[in-house]
Amino acid sequence: MKWRKLIHVLHRDIGYTAVALTLAYSISGLAVNHIDDWNPNFSFVETPVDVGPLPTDDYDVMQAHVVERLEIDPKLVKGRFMESETEFRVFLPEGQEVHVDIRDGKGLYKEINTHPVLYEVNQLHLNTIKGWWTWIADLFALSLITLAVTGLFMIKGKRGLGGRGKWFVGAGLLVPLGFILYTIYGA
Amino acid sequence: MARVRVTPLVVLLSASLAAACDAPPAAKGGEAKPAATAKAKGDAATPESGKAEAAAPEGKTYGAPLEGADAVTIAQVMDDPKAYENKMVRVEGMVTDVCTKRGCWFEMAGEKPGMKMRFKVRDGDMVFPPSAKGKKAVAEGTVTVRTLSLEDTKRFEEHMAKDAGKEFDPASITEPMTIVQLTGKGAVIRDS
Repeated sequence: MKWRKLIHVLHRDIGYTAVALTLAYSISGLAVNHIDDWNPNFSFVETPVDVGPLPTDDYDVMQAHVVERLEIDPKLVKGRFMESETEFRVFLPEGQEVHVDIRDGKGLYKEINTHPVLYEVNQLHLNTIKGWWTWIADLFALSLITLAVTGLFMIKGKRGLGGRGKWFVGAGLLVPLGFILYTIYGA
Repeated sequence: MARVRVTPLVVLLSASLAAACDAPPAAKGGEAKPAATAKAKGDAATPESGKAEAAAPEGKTYGAPLEGADAVTIAQVMDDPKAYENKMVRVEGMVTDVCTKRGCWFEMAGEKPGMKMRFKVRDGDMVFPPSAKGKKAVAEGTVTVRTLSLEDTKRFEEHMAKDAGKEFDPASITEPMTIVQLTGKGAVIRDS
């Protein structure tokens, strides 16, 4: 088998294999790039509540008052916290909580939900799983390297690397190279 | 041909992992909090935030295993942070808040109302889930103490107010804030 044909085969088959993770990582990459503007993992729902004033200074009574008024099973309560002199928080499973002002009983029921699919691909992309996933992620990274290198030599002639290809490769190289040079010498 | 064109884009996207955490660089300091209103009956936070256990705690370990640092209460550190600065300690308390963008920090309730201490790990080392709220955490780390300038304090409080969806009045900040934070590599979290 000629080397260029081998490159075609490698590029094609590794490309097929890597397409799913490439899409997953790319979509997650877009989401994570904009983490300052929106939360790529979770969405938040805040529902106004009014449990009435909590005219007491006993935390047990305050907690019981809140869950009773909101018809929450007391067994679900995981904890409570006096956030400030006027803010009382009751913690519920899965990150939910009730946050009320003890003076008037007004506050919020806060829920947190994951973005379906996006949350999961973010876990893969950011490798929060660690352990075995690190091996798969390493393999995927090697696949991308192979795709990039084989992609350079897919075509020969004036449309190949020796022709117009070198200008495109050079243009792409300017981005990381420019940054590296700026970091070392420009800053 | 199409795949060849896509590949550099993918490589660039994959290299974009180092997005900044939503968290300000450090925790809210005890000195910036309102004085404790200890008149209320019962603990400010349950489960009780007493002196941390010296033995290996039960629960799910996040990151590196605990190393057995000296156990202190959050109040001990927050009341006299300079005495613990740069020292490795173990504290425990109920988780009250978790970083929802990168999961790189959580805050624990101290022994007094309004008292909290933030436990921060390096981005990407581990991810604390929002479902940890209300659970008990045991964390080990190095106490860091930093006093912000008045301008930085205003920026910090503005950021916190924005995150909490509250209005912010810069004129309400008149004193610089001291930030006390525990920086570590691992924690154990369990149901109370």
